[in-house]
Amino acid sequence: MVVTVNLTKMEENPIPEIIKFGGEGIVKCIQCGACASVCPLSLAGMPLYNKKLFKMLLSGYFEEIIEDPSPWACVACNRCVEICPRDVKPFQVIFAFRRIQVREFAMPMNVLGGMKNLYEKGHAVFSEAAEIRKKVGLPEMPPSTLAYPEALKEVQTLLKNSEVAKLGVIPMS
Amino acid sequence: MEKCGLFLGCNIPFRCPDVEQSIRKVFPALGVEVVDLEGYSCCPAWGTGPSFDVLTWLTISARNISIAEEKGVDIMTGCNSCFGILSEAKHMIDHNPENLKKVNENLKLINREYKGTSKVYHVAHVLYEKIGLEKIKESIKYSLDGLTIAVQPGCHILWPTEVMEVKEENPFYPKILRKLCEALGAEAPHYSRIEYCCGMGALRSTDQEKSFEIVEQKLLSIKEELDPDMIVATCSSCYMQLDDAQEKLRAKGRIDFEIPVFYYTQLLALCMGFDPNQVAAISVTPRDEIIKEIQSDKRLVKEEGGE
Repeated sequence: MVVTVNLTKMEENPIPEIIKFGGEGIVKCIQCGACASVCPLSLAGMPLYNKKLFKMLLSGYFEEIIEDPSPWACVACNRCVEICPRDVKPFQVIFAFRRIQVREFAMPMNVLGGMKNLYEKGHAVFSEAAEIRKKVGLPEMPPSTLAYPEALKEVQTLLKNSEVAKLGVIPMS
Repeated sequence: MEKCGLFLGCNIPFRCPDVEQSIRKVFPALGVEVVDLEGYSCCPAWGTGPSFDVLTWLTISARNISIAEEKGVDIMTGCNSCFGILSEAKHMIDHNPENLKKVNENLKLINREYKGTSKVYHVAHVLYEKIGLEKIKESIKYSLDGLTIAVQPGCHILWPTEVMEVKEENPFYPKILRKLCEALGAEAPHYSRIEYCCGMGALRSTDQEKSFEIVEQKLLSIKEELDPDMIVATCSSCYMQLDDAQEKLRAKGRIDFEIPVFYYTQLLALCMGFDPNQVAAISVTPRDEIIKEIQSDKRLVKEEGGE
């Protein structure tokens, strides 16, 4: 992705939204690049790694980047949080942007699978494991929401009463 | 006997239950009773709660932690993501009264309360800090003397140190897992990409090719710098990625070697003499040969006045 940075584009300032969704540190960013120097996304060559995402947002870009999947490749490793000399907490800014992408329905669709699994099973990652568990001498199910239906109800009650339910991105019956 | 609540997460019980079994075997043998956290749910994973809404994340994490609080135990997790997510959530709740208030308003819906009385540890932290290297050394039946290990601690056990109970002196030069491996008699040297990402998780599900490039670099670095007998991880995701991606990279002709991969407690359990069919039974990259080598008679640690 090639985007020319236009420093006069500040009238569409997306920063208040970033702050609202947990990325308040962005206003302290001085573009020093420490976060990018340790970021697996910049190493892997994802277009919108931390420093660049913040530059775009601080320059008023939003529509141009809202559908970029890069933030969803962030492994939440927190190297950036450790190394940032300005306490920007870059990881929190990236996740704030993810939360905005969800509200714009601009996230990669595969992320809904995990959320749906969380609601239906209590596990974001789930696969049938009874056989391999038995093979290594364990009970068929771990002692989680799978084995305790009343515990799954608790999780579902919490999710039904959450912001996620209001977003209406997954069915919650 | 000291007790610790075992937070299993999703990947370990469903995809590598031999890792779960190894955790269940080694801790009681080292004097720590493993307590199940009945009714726990997903932590919730980075791509779920944390990516959608902060309060939903904190609420689901707080419910999980409250199960340990009810039992009066601290939590240990074997999955680095669970460790990161629960530690971060706990930090955000404990250091922000507004978060604590809102989380408990939510938990009231299910008659639960978050008190903040249980700490969150990683399995490796309990081994290193609470049990200690000496006790681990004394517990082993087979020594790894002469074997070389490339360690992979994984991201969430290293950063951000701010939210952790047990911290590396310098997380960019991690030493805890190296020391845990050395306690088994092996060499576990530093290498240039020791703290590099394995490319698993969000990166692999968003861009598989880039994920393979990252893990390829890591594996080449390991092979060229250490040429180890095995790779040992304390992150269940790194463990699965380093095991599985080797096969995929070999199939593409991008690497021409095979390095067996273990989760640390699997290796510890093998050194303690536990049955490989229970504690190290599932992998893509073959491990039979190295397991036989580890549990061979010549590696038996001589007992005082022994046989």
